[in-house]
This record gives sequence, C-alpha cells and structure tokens, in this order.
Amino acid sequence: MREAVQDLRLDSRLRMVDTPRAAAVLLVAGDLDPIDLDALARVHDSIPHPRATVLWQSSAAMSWQSEPSSVVVTAIDPVPQIRAAFRDLLGDRRPSESAVGGGSGLVEWRDVGPYGQGGMGMTGGTPYGRPMAGLGTDRDGLRLDVLPVRLGPFFPRLPVGLSLDISLAGDVLTEVHVEIPALPSPIGPRSIFARALSRPVPIADLESARARDHLRWTSDALLAQGMPALALVALRAAREVQPGDGARVRALAARVRRSGVFRWSLPRQPRLDGATIQGMGLGPVSRAAGLVEDVRLEDDGYLALGFQVQTIDAPGVGGWWQMRLDEAARSLDLAARAGGQMTTLLGRVEGPRGRIEAGDTPTQRALTLLPDVLDGLEWGDAMAVLVGLDLDLAEAPGSASRCTVAA
Amino acid sequence: MVSLVPLAIAFSVFVLAIGAVLVLWWLGDPERDRSRLPVDPTPFAGGHAPQVHAWNRYHARYYPMALVFLAFDMEMVFMYPWAVVFVSEGLTAMIEMGMFIVVLLLGILYAWREHAFEWT
Amino acid sequence: MSLVASILIASVAVAGVMVAGAYLVAVMDRWTARLVAGGGVDAGRAMAAPARDAAFLLTRHRTSTERPDARAWALAPALLAGLAALALTLVPIAPDTVIADPATGFVVFSAAIAFVMIAVFLHGWAPDSTLPLIGAYRFGAQALSFQIPFLLAVLATTLPAGSLSIVRIAEAQEPLWNVVRQPLGLPIYLVVGLAVSYWGPLDLPDGRDLAGGTSAEDAGIARLLWSGARAAMLVAIAAMGATVFLGGWYGPVLPGPVWVALKTLLLLAVIVLAGNLFARVRIGSFVIVCWTLLIPLSLLNIFVSGAILL
Repeated sequence: MREAVQDLRLDSRLRMVDTPRAAAVLLVAGDLDPIDLDALARVHDSIPHPRATVLWQSSAAMSWQSEPSSVVVTAIDPVPQIRAAFRDLLGDRRPSESAVGGGSGLVEWRDVGPYGQGGMGMTGGTPYGRPMAGLGTDRDGLRLDVLPVRLGPFFPRLPVGLSLDISLAGDVLTEVHVEIPALPSPIGPRSIFARALSRPVPIADLESARARDHLRWTSDALLAQGMPALALVALRAAREVQPGDGARVRALAARVRRSGVFRWSLPRQPRLDGATIQGMGLGPVSRAAGLVEDVRLEDDGYLALGFQVQTIDAPGVGGWWQMRLDEAARSLDLAARAGGQMTTLLGRVEGPRGRIEAGDTPTQRALTLLPDVLDGLEWGDAMAVLVGLDLDLAEAPGSASRCTVAA
Repeated sequence: MVSLVPLAIAFSVFVLAIGAVLVLWWLGDPERDRSRLPVDPTPFAGGHAPQVHAWNRYHARYYPMALVFLAFDMEMVFMYPWAVVFVSEGLTAMIEMGMFIVVLLLGILYAWREHAFEWT
Repeated sequence: MSLVASILIASVAVAGVMVAGAYLVAVMDRWTARLVAGGGVDAGRAMAAPARDAAFLLTRHRTSTERPDARAWALAPALLAGLAALALTLVPIAPDTVIADPATGFVVFSAAIAFVMIAVFLHGWAPDSTLPLIGAYRFGAQALSFQIPFLLAVLATTLPAGSLSIVRIAEAQEPLWNVVRQPLGLPIYLVVGLAVSYWGPLDLPDGRDLAGGTSAEDAGIARLLWSGARAAMLVAIAAMGATVFLGGWYGPVLPGPVWVALKTLLLLAVIVLAGNLFARVRIGSFVIVCWTLLIPLSLLNIFVSGAILL
C-alpha cells in the first residue's frame, strides 16, 4: 500500500503536499492503527474548506463519521474518484466535510497564573488552554525556554505511525523519546522477505525486490533533501528496473552525487560506528560502518553465486546513502546472473534494512538507537538522520497505519 | 541639497505595494464568515495537539555570529562612502581600507577557530 | 506630469513586472523540474500550470491558528512584496528611464534586502506554531550570513562608477561589463540571490524537513501571496543583477529595455535551474561558507578590482 501511495507522486493529475493547510483532499490509504485515529481527525479538520476525504482500500472499521461521508474507493486507481470528489466540491454538488474530531477544547485566552500574575496577553497561567514553554538549562549555560514538541504520526518525513517526543532548545534536539503504540501481536513485513523466512524463494526475485526497495527509499530521501525532480527519477527507476539494470542505478547514483547531497546537504555527524551497532544487523547502516554483517553470507544459494559483501568506511548518513545505492546496483547485477537459484536458508533473511527473523525486525532495533543518535543534532540534520535510517513501521510491532495527505 | 524626490517616489511605491497586497489578502478569502465552516486551528506537527505555545524565549544559537555580523555591518557603513571616493583618493584609500579589513578578517579567523559559526 | 500621476504610473508598471515575473518564475520552475526529472516538457501545460495552481489556492478558505499574530501574518507577504517593488523601482531600463534614481540607490537596495529577514521572520512568528518558528529563526541565521557577502559583491560594482547611484553604476559599464571586470562578483551575487529569496538549495525556512516551515500554516490566498512575493523578490534580484553586473541596457542591435529584460531572464533561468539541480544546503554549512569563504572572496574581488582601477 505504501508503494501505491508513493507511486501517486508520479501522477501529474495530483500533487501531494506536506501540510494539511495546503491540501484539499485527504487520502486515507490502507488500514489505520486505532490509536492514530485521533491524530488523523485533527489532520482532517485542519484542511481548509472546501474539503473531502477519500478512503482507499481502508477497512470499514475506521468509524469515520463525517458529514457528508467520505468517498470510498476499492479500485486500484483512486485518482479518478479523487478528482471527481474535488470537482464536485468546487461545483457545489458536494458539501464540504464537517469536523470529525472533538475540537481543541480551548479555554478563554486571558488567564491568571498560579501566583496571581498575568491575566493579560501572553503572561501568566495557560493562555488559550496551553501553557507557555518552561525554562530549562542548556548546554551553553543559559536558562532559556525548552520547547516540547510531539511530532505526530502523520509528519511528512517520518514513517506513518511514528511519534517522537522531542525537547527543543532552539533548533537543537535535546531529548527524544520514541513512541510506538504496542499492539498485542507483532506484525511482520508482508513481502517476499517475509515469505523467504519460511520457504525458499528465487534469489533473482529477492534481489530485485531489495533493489526496488532501496530505490523507493532513495526517492523519499531525495525529496527530504530538497530535490523533488530527482526523486521522481528514482521513483520511476524503482518501478521499472529489471535484473541487469545495474547501470541505470549507477547513473542515478552519479546524478545524486552531482547534486551535492554528500558535500553540503547531509550531516557529517552522527557517526554510528562499528562499536556502537556491533551485532545489530542493520543492513546498509551496518555495512557502511565497516561491519561485515549480512545474513546472505550464511546462505548456500548466495555463496554458490559468488556473493560477496562489500563494506565501506563511512559510518555517517552519507555512507548510508552510498551503501544503499551501491547495493541496489549490485543486487540487480546478482539477480541477472542468479538464473533459477533459490535461497536455502530458512528462519532468517537479509531484508533491505537488515537482518529479519520471526518477531525481530531491523526497524525495532534501529528505533532503540534514536534517542542517543538524535541528541544534540540540529533539526535539519536530525531529519536527515531519521530519513537516512530508513525506518519502516510495517516492520516494527504495533503499527499498520499508512496514510497521507494529498491535494 | 540632494533631491529627495526619487526617494519619495520609491517609498510611495513601497507603501502602495504593501497596501495592495493587504487588500488582496483581505479580499482573497472566499469565506468571510468563519463560524459557518470552522477549521481546526491546532498548529500542525503531524497530528498531535501541541503541549505549549510555540512563542517562547527561543535559543537563537547563532548569537555569537550575530555579534560578528554587527561588526561587519559597521564596516559596511564605512565602505559606502569609501567606494564613492575611492578612485579620486587613490592608493591611500586602498591602503587605509585594507588595514581596516585585515583587522576584521583576523576577527573572522578568530571566531572561526573558536567555533562561533557553529552551534550544534 | 505631476508627482502623484508619475507615482501611480510607476506603481502600475512595477505591479505588472512583479506579477508577470512571478508567473514566469513559476513556469520556468516547472519547465526545469520536468527537464531534470526527464518527463518531457509539455510547453502548453507548463504555461497554464501556475494559473491553475493560483486558481486552486483561491478556492481555499484562509485558515488561522489558535492565537496567531494576525497583523504580522497579513503584513509578512505585504512587506516582502513591498520590498520587491522597492527594489524594482531602482532598476533602470534606459539611461533616463528609471522610476527612482536616488543618489544612494545602492543603499536603498541594500536596505530592501536587509528587511527581507524581517518579512520572513514575521511570517514564521505569526502563526504561533513550532515548525514555522524554527523556520523563521533558521532564516535569521541565513540572513545574517548572506548580508555581508551580498553587500560586498555589489559594492565592488560601485568602484568603477564612483557613485552609489544604480544608473551611474550601469553607465560605468559602457566600456566593459562588470561580470568581465570583476569575475568573482556575479557568482557570489547569484549564490546570495538564492539565499535572499531562499530558493532551491537554500530553501531553509520553508524546507521540506519542516513540513513547509514558515508556510506550514498558510492556506489559500495567504499561500498564494507569499509564494508570489518570493518570486517577485527573485525577479527583483535578477533585474538588479542584470543591471549592475551584466551591463543593463547595453548591447548591440536590440533596444535597451529589451536587453534588460533578456539579461534578467537569463539570470532568472540560471537561478531556477540551480534550484532544481542542487540539494538543500545545511544551515551550519551555509553559515560557515558565507563567513569563511564568501566574505574573503568578495573582499578580494573589491581590492583586486580597486587595484586595477588605480
């Protein structure tokens, strides 16, 4: 479902936007974790009128009550119905949707503080129902305000469903807590990688899927670093590459390098060194740090094809980018010469993000690193690291939400 | 007495442009009556409601760089008239401003060494 | 003609240039984006696209946040547009055709650029929302850093003219354009020009890592006016660059005003292309590069061209 939503970017009839204020239609794709419904209602209510919602292959258990009710799409292509809904909005054939959430519950603006101070403007108490930011000590020794921010499940650069509780001192993150709602049973990845855990699959298919996943990540990462045009190139490549198309991926990697991403866009720090992530099996992140951790080395099918792990010594965000692009190209080369070779290892598989075993996914492990890795980073660098780590909440237990906001 | 007419014209265009955009801002809203179709006014941060107001004593960490900027801004004040009389004053103008600039460049060097331009 | 009449005519002319220029910037942006993305350039659709986007935005209601600074929110795009208009009044299209030619035109232009920081900051401060606020303060760092290289790069062009008046600077390029005499000047000016209107690689206050940054809470007409004002500012920067670096109205065959337009278009095309080709620069890197590389280079530019003049 996530791939289908990403592919909508290629459709010139739609534009996907980052903030609900710029949108007209809310596209809810796939099923939603009930915990995120509240946030989704808030996002929906933030969209300026006239607005509509389109539920695309979402289960009816959404209990979404809007007036008028949302457009339900079960077909593969939601675009015609999205455009029809929008045209109906403009032509007054369809009224704009009313609020779905409970409203903010704000109180009167003027308030008096706990010591009787204030009562005017922004001073004292909880103006408009929210307190002002409190003081905190800072690394610089100054006592300035610390801003707590809860980046919600639908923040555009984070994977859907991931919530971060951040304390900001200026634009530097000082404390990060990761919130993933825990569901009773973990939901593993549903793809060829999940199938490979229980039975042999053709290596060509597995490696093609890996390359495509890396290219899709590249598209999102390029978008995050401010290159929407190149992101479309990567997305088109992700859809079209076949085994043997390594040259196309290498050409894309060269274009990415020429755009200056590694020189001035990605942070040099943090460096997830080999010592820090030893044994975590984080795939390209581990191999960029020089660790030889690859489940494919235990698989006779791969060894029969002459598979070799290549590591580089670039433990930063730039290294992760390079590693993924290189591995995508090499995966396609491997897929071309794989023939009908099948995997032989069961119970473990090397996913695009790292070592996957039943109930143990690389994203779970990567999320434990976040509080330390993001500490002390400037906002832009922190976002680059988050995107660079390639987190996929479908892998971590407890999240099944895939939603986006569209124009 | 230098003519102030060009400045007056420029300033008038400035004010008129501001006024025009303010008028467009007010006119461009298709819906004047806010209560008819309310929109959730919660600031967007991905879906959660904010815990505090955003207005705060924000730690603008680049304050050392701002001080260096002040020094250079004052240097620019001196360079405006210097540029006008440069050709007529000749080499003395060049050397004097050169000495001034060298002192400031040493300041930048010092600030750079002391990591005043970095803040994380 | 009376002063009031000339002001009104000037305002209409400037408004026309701003609107047409902003539209052209949007069209070029779409063209170069499709060129880079390799999807084939559909000229007809690209020409109509900004009009469609504007029409779309005009259908949206203008939303508000809980406790915004409403006056600042309205003033921000107005101020940015006003500054663009102010800069455009200083650009001459012929030796005796300019809306305003104060004797200290360069200083007025510098003041206009300096106030852009205020406009963007107001835009981020007004909604009382975290992401716009971070964008606003980021632009504070960006603006403080680009100011001095900007001023120094353009100051070098006043040396051959011996005057701060833009018309004199343009006239002094009759023998040779400043881009040839002072080769370091135009590249620095273009980099800083990208920074002033925060376009492409320097789109830090409205960056994608901030979900739209200072524009994150803008809806409808507010969004349209802000992006229009930014594009108009870009046009003003390009026009001024064409005048002080590329020789303004000087050129063979074609009449002066046409040359000014062509040179402005050239600079706009370069800036828009750079916007689509390069990745967003980190604020930390940008600040350091401005102070440790661009300032010494622009000072070198000044002293070398000064030495040549003597």
